[in-house]
Amino acid sequence: MNGNLEDRIRSTLGHAATRAPRAPGGLATVVVSRSRRRRLRAQALTSAVAVAVVAIGVGVVIRGPGPVTVEPASPSEAVASPATEPKPWTPATETVEQVWPDAVWRMPRKLAGDVEARPRVFLDDRTLLLETWESHEKVDAIYAYDLVDGTSRKIASISTPKGVFASGFTPGSGRIIWMTYESGNMRLWSVPVEGGAPSEIHTDPPIRGISDHLAIVGDRIVFSMADGGVYTLPLDGGTATALPNGAGLHLLRWPWAGTPGHRTPNGEIAFQRLTNVETGESALAAANPGEIMVRCGITMCSGIRPGGSTGFARLRDGTQDRDLPGPSYGGLAADRFMTVRRSRSSGQDLYDLRTGRSADLGIRSDAKGESVAVEPGMGDGRLLSYPLGDEYVIIDLARIP
Amino acid sequence: MDDDSRFADFVAERADALLRYGYVLSGNPHDAADLTQEALIRLHRAWSRVRRKQDPERYTRVIMARLHVNAWRFRRRERLAWDPPEQTHHADFPSDGEQGLWRALAGLPPKQRAVLVLRYYEELTDIEIAGVLGISRGTVRSHASHGLNRLRTTIADPADSRRGAR
Repeated sequence: MNGNLEDRIRSTLGHAATRAPRAPGGLATVVVSRSRRRRLRAQALTSAVAVAVVAIGVGVVIRGPGPVTVEPASPSEAVASPATEPKPWTPATETVEQVWPDAVWRMPRKLAGDVEARPRVFLDDRTLLLETWESHEKVDAIYAYDLVDGTSRKIASISTPKGVFASGFTPGSGRIIWMTYESGNMRLWSVPVEGGAPSEIHTDPPIRGISDHLAIVGDRIVFSMADGGVYTLPLDGGTATALPNGAGLHLLRWPWAGTPGHRTPNGEIAFQRLTNVETGESALAAANPGEIMVRCGITMCSGIRPGGSTGFARLRDGTQDRDLPGPSYGGLAADRFMTVRRSRSSGQDLYDLRTGRSADLGIRSDAKGESVAVEPGMGDGRLLSYPLGDEYVIIDLARIP
Repeated sequence: MDDDSRFADFVAERADALLRYGYVLSGNPHDAADLTQEALIRLHRAWSRVRRKQDPERYTRVIMARLHVNAWRFRRRERLAWDPPEQTHHADFPSDGEQGLWRALAGLPPKQRAVLVLRYYEELTDIEIAGVLGISRGTVRSHASHGLNRLRTTIADPADSRRGAR
């Protein structure tokens, strides 16, 4: 080998660079979508702008605990249902509170004691699970917040080692479960919804990897792994067993699981194939060449048409195809809701594809021209929450008729 | 043109160059993809500010270098979306010497490697490197010196043994 070492390093690095992977098509779209998703998660991004502590007594309209409709229809039911004319979007003239008064609440962003708390999931028709953070995304406690009377109570303090994060809080059967990821293994934890000290749900053998979806069904936990595969485990612990119909699949909403899951590294259609892991019924979503960012729910798919500018939505079987008023990066929530960004300054509408109604979320850009981007499809299909001033707006999508 | 289309244009124009940089920084295609995507996500979140005040590509490269030295990939929580195929069909290095040096670079601690990449691939001065990595100029020189020594030792040994075997 000739030349001095420094020249040889230059030459080696230069040649090595030619072996680098090439950027995939649509990388910008993926990045923008991930960026928005992360922004949504870190909903309290404006907390850097120190907000003076504001009196807590927020007037919440009290309303009856009407029945909550849960929508998991099956793909076949949706296909069999009479075709409905796609309802076009028109810019909203009213706020979400005016359009859907029974589904919208407001709550302070800070609990008594000046602790910033983030809404995560509904515990029941009027109670939210909130989490507080010790540092970025590191949960140190969970609370129950009563939307009707505005009171909160601590459910549990959570302590995790450095670098270990509690996530995936899931209520069911009187408990709340969550997971941590340590040394390559997933650990599951549980606390009664009334409160108490967290206890570990022991698994023997340990579960390698991390879950991408947890649910409680009766006295069992069902979960899918980030690498695929649906498993079940007694709520009191024991051995996780693979479900025969769930091999390689990712849970979308019990009992529906599909492949690929939310993670689509090569531009695949999220949840293109969907299987009912209890019955084995399955459905495959229609696909057209050139479409990108296609994400499917149980009955509907949405994405961006070839060319990259027009959003679309349609049923899994390809029927009832219509243009969307904007791109839906995160898919549709509950197979029917998306946000439409009118322009940077004039905010976002929540748009219901099923009824054609839309309502102003009330978000406006701040002095720096920044605003929160709300992506309903990245949530759990029921809770939509976002910060607005000193409050969170809470929308229960299941209460929208 | 709105911010998102400007951002998309930037990614379309510069993503391949950033991947090359990520590849020489990290030494493998997966980490190159991870570094690039993570840095672009962070760039997008700061896009309007960065575009107003500084060069987006420079900003992204600084993020990538810092992510690399902070061994971010070992503790990231979010799985990254994009898994590039293993590159097996690409041309090999023109000489065994370069192949050996590339392998030797893989044995360096991240900070030493980053300093050498910034010096000899990015052609930055030690003061600029100090700025990128957020360390002192003395530390830059120390990392460079240790890295170069280690490379000399590593590439000397296998070459000698291979010659001896012939």
